[in-house]
Amino acid sequence: MQTFLDLLSVLILISAFILTATKRINSYIKAFQLQSFLLFLATFTLGIYNFTTKGFLDIFILSIIIFVLKVIYIPRLLHNTYNRVAYKVEKDFFINIPSSILICAALVILTYYSLYSLDGALNIHIKFNLVNSLSVVLIGLFFMISRKKAIGQIVGFLVLENGMFTTAMLSAQGMPIIVDLGILVDLLTAVMIMGMLVFKINESFDSINIERLRNLRG
Amino acid sequence: MYILLIFIPILQSLLFWRTSNRRSLHLINVTGSFLLLLAVLSLLIQLQSSSAINYPLFNSFFYIDSLNALVLATTVLVGFFVAVYSVGYLNNEYKLQTDIKKIKLFYSLTSAFIFTMVLVATTQNLGLMWIAIEATTLASVFLVGFSNTKRSLEAAWKYIIICSVGIALAFLGIVFLYFSSHQALQGAEPSLNWSYLFEQARSLDAGILKIAFIFVLVGFGTKAGLVPMHTWLPDAHSEAPSPVSALLSGVLLNNAMYGIIRFLSIVNKSLGSSLYTGRLMIALGILSIGTAALFILAQKDYKRLLAYSSIEHMGIIALSLGIFTPASLFASFFHMFNHSLTKAMLFLSAGNVLQKFKTKDIGSINGLLKSMPLTGSVFLLGTMAIAGLPPFSIFSSEINIALAAFTSGYSIVGSVFILLIALAFVSIAYTLFRMFFGLPSQEQNSNEKNTLGNAVILLLLVTITLTGFYMPLFLKNIFESATRIVTGG
Amino acid sequence: MKLLLYVFMQLVLVLLLAPLVDGIIKKIKAFSQKRKGPPLTQMYFDLYKLMKKDTVVSETASWVFRTAPYITFISTLLAFMFFPATVILHSISFQGDIILAIYLLGIGRFFMVLAGLDTGSTFGGMGSSREVMIAALIEPALIVVLITLGLIAGSTSIYDIMLLNLQGNSFILNPYSILLFAAIFLILLAETARIPVDDPSTHLELTMIHEAMLLEYSGKHLALMELASVIKQLLFITILANFFLPTGWLGSQATPMLSFLLALITYFFKVVCIALLIAIAEISTVKLRFFSVPNLAAISFALAFLGFMQFIILGR
Repeated sequence: MQTFLDLLSVLILISAFILTATKRINSYIKAFQLQSFLLFLATFTLGIYNFTTKGFLDIFILSIIIFVLKVIYIPRLLHNTYNRVAYKVEKDFFINIPSSILICAALVILTYYSLYSLDGALNIHIKFNLVNSLSVVLIGLFFMISRKKAIGQIVGFLVLENGMFTTAMLSAQGMPIIVDLGILVDLLTAVMIMGMLVFKINESFDSINIERLRNLRG
Repeated sequence: MYILLIFIPILQSLLFWRTSNRRSLHLINVTGSFLLLLAVLSLLIQLQSSSAINYPLFNSFFYIDSLNALVLATTVLVGFFVAVYSVGYLNNEYKLQTDIKKIKLFYSLTSAFIFTMVLVATTQNLGLMWIAIEATTLASVFLVGFSNTKRSLEAAWKYIIICSVGIALAFLGIVFLYFSSHQALQGAEPSLNWSYLFEQARSLDAGILKIAFIFVLVGFGTKAGLVPMHTWLPDAHSEAPSPVSALLSGVLLNNAMYGIIRFLSIVNKSLGSSLYTGRLMIALGILSIGTAALFILAQKDYKRLLAYSSIEHMGIIALSLGIFTPASLFASFFHMFNHSLTKAMLFLSAGNVLQKFKTKDIGSINGLLKSMPLTGSVFLLGTMAIAGLPPFSIFSSEINIALAAFTSGYSIVGSVFILLIALAFVSIAYTLFRMFFGLPSQEQNSNEKNTLGNAVILLLLVTITLTGFYMPLFLKNIFESATRIVTGG
Repeated sequence: MKLLLYVFMQLVLVLLLAPLVDGIIKKIKAFSQKRKGPPLTQMYFDLYKLMKKDTVVSETASWVFRTAPYITFISTLLAFMFFPATVILHSISFQGDIILAIYLLGIGRFFMVLAGLDTGSTFGGMGSSREVMIAALIEPALIVVLITLGLIAGSTSIYDIMLLNLQGNSFILNPYSILLFAAIFLILLAETARIPVDDPSTHLELTMIHEAMLLEYSGKHLALMELASVIKQLLFITILANFFLPTGWLGSQATPMLSFLLALITYFFKVVCIALLIAIAEISTVKLRFFSVPNLAAISFALAFLGFMQFIILGR
């Protein structure tokens, strides 16, 4: 099972790379969906494992909620938002794709070296998973600053959140269930609010290009 | 009593949607916040006799000691003042009958905002606290973008994006902490309750905690507006309606700082010294004070200027928390309290000015003392207070912080601190004081009155002046026991 | 004796399997498009026909143009000799042979590119420049993959790496090997002119890369060039099959012949699996604009690099 989880953490990292390699909004929503699905698989595995060994059902239930929320509902919400606001296709990124992929690779090294000091404290698999999931967090952050569209920033935030969740799942086998549920509720509300703001921004700025949001300076 | 604390804001939100009478909306809001204030007062009285109040209900997630109570009391107090002020403010802003919907929305959002902040200050589960802090952002986004203008939408977008990301990083810190307790307490059920983690602090892994602390400092520091993560703050505080600015600046920043304090106490106990955390906090603090002082000099918008001054004061609090001696902790709690009240007062009087002149530009306002004698003089005195002039409470807490720095060997930090405070004072005096003097520009656009609001700002002025001279015993007790809680002594 | 037998086996593989694999890929693609497609043996007929035809050489062409097909073919064939189909029968093996083999392919490419430039035709020059650009882009990924493979196996000999894969702790179960597999797969697509990079079936001048270089060739020369490119394809498929896919026959003392046969059959099966993967990749993607190829190269580099990192963290 540990190998399978390791594999999933690598795949989640790869899906973050795929995300940075995408150009169109629809395709990066799909990349996010793929990543959420992998996250679901990881939680599901942990849930089954916990149920069979300890008799706890909570992680299992959590995985179902993740599936419904992150794999089905939020991508659909984003698609709807995008379809309602987008009427022209513009170039969406500040940094071209090869360089952003290389930057992401550099971020992985950075994570590795920042965890280097913990050598003694961690078991090797946990360290491995930490490197991968923290890299996903950093890549999500990088994605947010490298995209111009508001929806790109939402997706970046969601990826960052996925990375966080992966960290919690794979290093500490999930937080207490009420915390996990609270996080998901918060996430859902955040995405809905961001979606509504995107509408409003589109109404008053005639675009969802956040480069136009530059009235407030200094 | 605790149940009341949680349910009053919820009940309020529900009631708002049952009525569409302007008077009853105001009445519900003011009564609700007053009841909340009473509930907290009774908790404070209870705390005078016992060290902490723990509710076994809900898996003992809810726990109140003096530190919580301090944050809670400022929240509720400022909340009450803002509620009273809002009556006149909203009546002036939304005169039409069709605007009732807006008032309704405003009140339900503010009560949701207050609810999340009460939750932050009453839970002892770090995870739940994180959720509540994230929820404060979500509850206040639409308040920031309330006027639906281009500028306010921009501010709201920056606010939600930057704060959500910051808070997400703080969550990583909590994950690390949880993970280290998972590692250290093999077999035992790991927990996120900080009272438990604080007890077990010595058995947690120091390396992991160091990383966790950095994440938390960056995360909650974003929310508390520490430089370099402060970029959302001036926008949100200047574009929000003035009562909301008062809440954001006077209460929300404290809540975020409170998150950092809880972590600080665990990490310092685990590391056995405050050297590591102290360096980080002092560096961020000095950076914040300095940057804010410089930016104040360049401001043309008085609400934005006040926002930068909030960054400055958060920097001061971070610095004195970094020193981490009982004296400095005491001073920083005192400063938190003073800053809340003073800044709330300033934002509320700025709201009066804005409603009268319909502009936030410092250059186009002259002779404030003549055209608005009461608001003008309160604003002027408040500006002096926030800049750190003697008769007011901020002066005494700043002096205490400087003293604590010098007596605990941080003399360089102390001198830099005093220099920067002086710089900030000069900046504020240079930019803001010209608003008050001179002849008023001839025609005034409107002459609405906010009588209740004026009473509120006067009351706040009296409070900060009095606490500058004399600190009531119960206040002193709260600060002292909060200090004991953080140091563990 | 053993060497002779080995060379014989590899030659047979080249001649029988290389064109066949190309046929298999074409057939799968045809099926997906609800066509019948050319028969599996089509490439043999084509090669046979080309061999019989006259060779026409441009007047302006120099000796490079005439010798390039032979050099390319021989160097590719030589490179393939280092990649045994099974571990049972092997004889050419030494430290660093994987690097030698990869750079033998480089010699072949070098001459192919020169030949494309030699006749002075527009398309030849264009194809050459594009080919070189792709090669340059994909090379870093290839090198990182080779280094990582070498580190994992503790050796740069192909035989050692194969053996490590076959013995118990199969490669594919390691989280990092899936990254390397994906990286090599992308390299394969780029190196053998497969769809996201180049369309092997197109003859539209503006988009083709590999075919553009061979545009001036005819007869025997063309046959050799075509054969060289399918051998290269089989070589990369062999890398994937033998380094990453599990199961293989280590051979037993008792029944050498039987186990040898079984090993060949599993090898064939694995090759077909990879061919299937290539076909799926070709079906499900469209050809990239030429200026998007750097993205693909960057992805494969990132994958290779991540594989390297993960290996460093996890250890063997």
